[in-house]
Amino acid sequence: MIAPLRAFRHPQGGLAGCWLILVIAAALAAPLLTPYAYDVQNLPQAYQPASAQHWLGTDEFGRDLLTRLIYGARTSLSVSATAISISVLCGMVLGAAAAWFGGWLDRTVTMVVDLSWSFPEILIALILVAIIGPGTTGVMIAIAVAYIAQFTRLTRAQIMTLKGETFIEAARSLGAGNAHILFRHLLPNALAPVLVSAMLATGDAIILEATLGFFGLGAQPPVPSWGGMMSAGSALVFKAPWVIIFPGLAVAVTVVAINLYGDALITELDIRSRLRSGA
Amino acid sequence: MTQLFRKTLLSASVSLAALIAAQAATAQEAVFVMATNEVGAPTYNPIKATMLNTATGLLFDRLVSQAADLSYHPWLAESWEEAPDGMAWTFKLKQGVTFHNGEPFNAETVKAWIELFKTTEGENGYMAEAIASAEVVDEYTVKFVMSRPEPNLLYNLSSTFMGVVEPKSFAALGDNYGVTEVYGTGPFKLESFAIGQETVLVRNEGYTWGPEVAANHGPAKVERLTFREIPEDSTAFLELKTGGVDFLLSVPADLMGEVQKEANLAVLTMPGQDVWYMPINVTKAPFDDIRVREAAAKAINQEEILASVFGGVGAVADTFLISALPESHVPDGAKIHYDPARSNALLDEAGWAMGEGGVRMKDGQPLKVTLWTQSDSIFRRLTEVVQAQLKAVGIEAEITTFDSSTIRDQYKTGEQQLAVRSYNWDNADIVDWFFGGDRLGYPNVSMFNDPKAEELRAAAMTGARNMDERIANFTAYHEYVLTQFPMAPIYQPVQAMAYNTDRIALPEKIDAPAFGAAAFLDLQVKE
Repeated sequence: MIAPLRAFRHPQGGLAGCWLILVIAAALAAPLLTPYAYDVQNLPQAYQPASAQHWLGTDEFGRDLLTRLIYGARTSLSVSATAISISVLCGMVLGAAAAWFGGWLDRTVTMVVDLSWSFPEILIALILVAIIGPGTTGVMIAIAVAYIAQFTRLTRAQIMTLKGETFIEAARSLGAGNAHILFRHLLPNALAPVLVSAMLATGDAIILEATLGFFGLGAQPPVPSWGGMMSAGSALVFKAPWVIIFPGLAVAVTVVAINLYGDALITELDIRSRLRSGA
Repeated sequence: MTQLFRKTLLSASVSLAALIAAQAATAQEAVFVMATNEVGAPTYNPIKATMLNTATGLLFDRLVSQAADLSYHPWLAESWEEAPDGMAWTFKLKQGVTFHNGEPFNAETVKAWIELFKTTEGENGYMAEAIASAEVVDEYTVKFVMSRPEPNLLYNLSSTFMGVVEPKSFAALGDNYGVTEVYGTGPFKLESFAIGQETVLVRNEGYTWGPEVAANHGPAKVERLTFREIPEDSTAFLELKTGGVDFLLSVPADLMGEVQKEANLAVLTMPGQDVWYMPINVTKAPFDDIRVREAAAKAINQEEILASVFGGVGAVADTFLISALPESHVPDGAKIHYDPARSNALLDEAGWAMGEGGVRMKDGQPLKVTLWTQSDSIFRRLTEVVQAQLKAVGIEAEITTFDSSTIRDQYKTGEQQLAVRSYNWDNADIVDWFFGGDRLGYPNVSMFNDPKAEELRAAAMTGARNMDERIANFTAYHEYVLTQFPMAPIYQPVQAMAYNTDRIALPEKIDAPAFGAAAFLDLQVKE
């Protein structure tokens, strides 16, 4: 059995995995799951508490909150996952190149990465969004750039330790080129820890996306995002507390689930020590 | 034994005295929260600033004060007289008035101050534009020689923008005037100012020249005022509820119910001076076509917004001016009301046919526009309703949110198409301010520059010899602007404030159009 499935055998990992599958499935099947549109306002129905028609109540425009939560999962998950994928891709290329070629390239990359590592991700993301402008694309790029340092360092550390292994020396003495060694031997071996750490970073990215959304910098209305919904709800805490509570819960539970599942995965892959060497 | 007893008694009385003193000291302080639409004012320089907050009116006195019925009364000027032809005004000034830095206030300073409007770069020169020169008649008499009759002079002189600044320090401090230091004759002095965060004012102990509209003409009753800038209404409300602040200078309609639920909080309302509206950039396609502008303007359902966003508090706006102004009484045909049938017909006529997904199309292009708003939650909520109302006639508007303090700079780029914003002013010359062809970008967010409008504008601003003519000219100018649809009027709120009744004792009557110097002079802190 492959590791991601084995992780389900851990009680926490299994529970967390099920929640993640549920959220992802709901996000994918959003239009099939709900009879409401996420953007059609029905002002006379505003501020309705939970009822049979609206399981989680309605927001300040009379829109069904559950519908917006499900569509919000689409935004939050797709933005964070895409951003982290970009980040992993760039980080791996940079880290591998730095470790393999060494010299000035390594020094430059390490310096830039260490420099950006010294700023919190939220700060980098905020600056970038301010430059690019608000919206999902801006947030995606901002989150991607904010996490590049992490993956560059991790990949570099992995490649550095693998570089001296006998099988690399063997490949080189058989006449393999740089590209062959990098893409066929080094990166596949460095992949597992990077992917697990990417998964954990996705959890952080969801929070970052929600934070930027809360500041009004993420998905622009009427497109829902969990952060944006919480931001609108923050003005309604007294009048309609459910508008902020449910998206907040969604963020919290999803991020905890990602972390628990990630932990189970780390145990199954037995890569705890390798993850630590990167950070 | 006796010694010890005495000592104990002494220390007890000392600490008791200290306690009483401490209580007295805290009792004379009050913390106010600035109105959310005044957050981020970058300076207290009334000659240069395009936005001034409530604290400005406490630092600077005006020559005349205005009562709640909009009549004019003495303040730094004891009396005044207008020449029959309107070409000269003579003001008798109060004696014994001094600026915060000790400089005396007299005819010379008034003359120097009026000249600052001519020599300082900025937008506010028009305030004193009709004054050709100020002449010193004697130490406490000054005569304004006019370049043309200006029926609006007393209004200008009563506005915060014509708060009398101390001319010497103004010249010496340059751009720092109003930021690091500021000297007026007002009932409060500036102690500290952190832009966008907090302003602390302390009482001017020697103040004896309060406006006639206030009951108290002497020093203010409160010793120290802190004005905090909190951009988010619900955060400000929480601060009020938990006792962190004593007074909110603005409360949105949807929080008024929450305020009234609390036993120790109360709402104070005064007639509104705000208009909420949607500027339409007339230079940006598709809004360079007047039909599309009219369609967008008439897609706005003001009644629905009043009921759903503002809980029915306030009134709908159907012109650019608050309805208390006579210039707002334009013919019914010029008023802008919700008319979706007309919107749809106009868009059809302009070639925008209804396409798939409810968005209109022309030459393969969807009718997609940008809609700017600021980050305060009430603006965002209103903007989302506007977005849905535009969508109902087939206009897809994409919302972009900017920080409240940076959005003015964004307008200056001229890239906006539609926006949702509000202004606060109670004179018809606001039409000139927001639609004058020489202020494109900001304040003229609509980028409106129309030759006929400019003609009418000139007549309204400078062509009137008396008040009746001014009203007629401004009504005509206002009416013409409305028919060109550079904006859609949305809503007129009431000025709603909230305060802690355990801490603040309001004066019985606030005889002023807004909560300003007169109210602050009479206001008391309890205990």
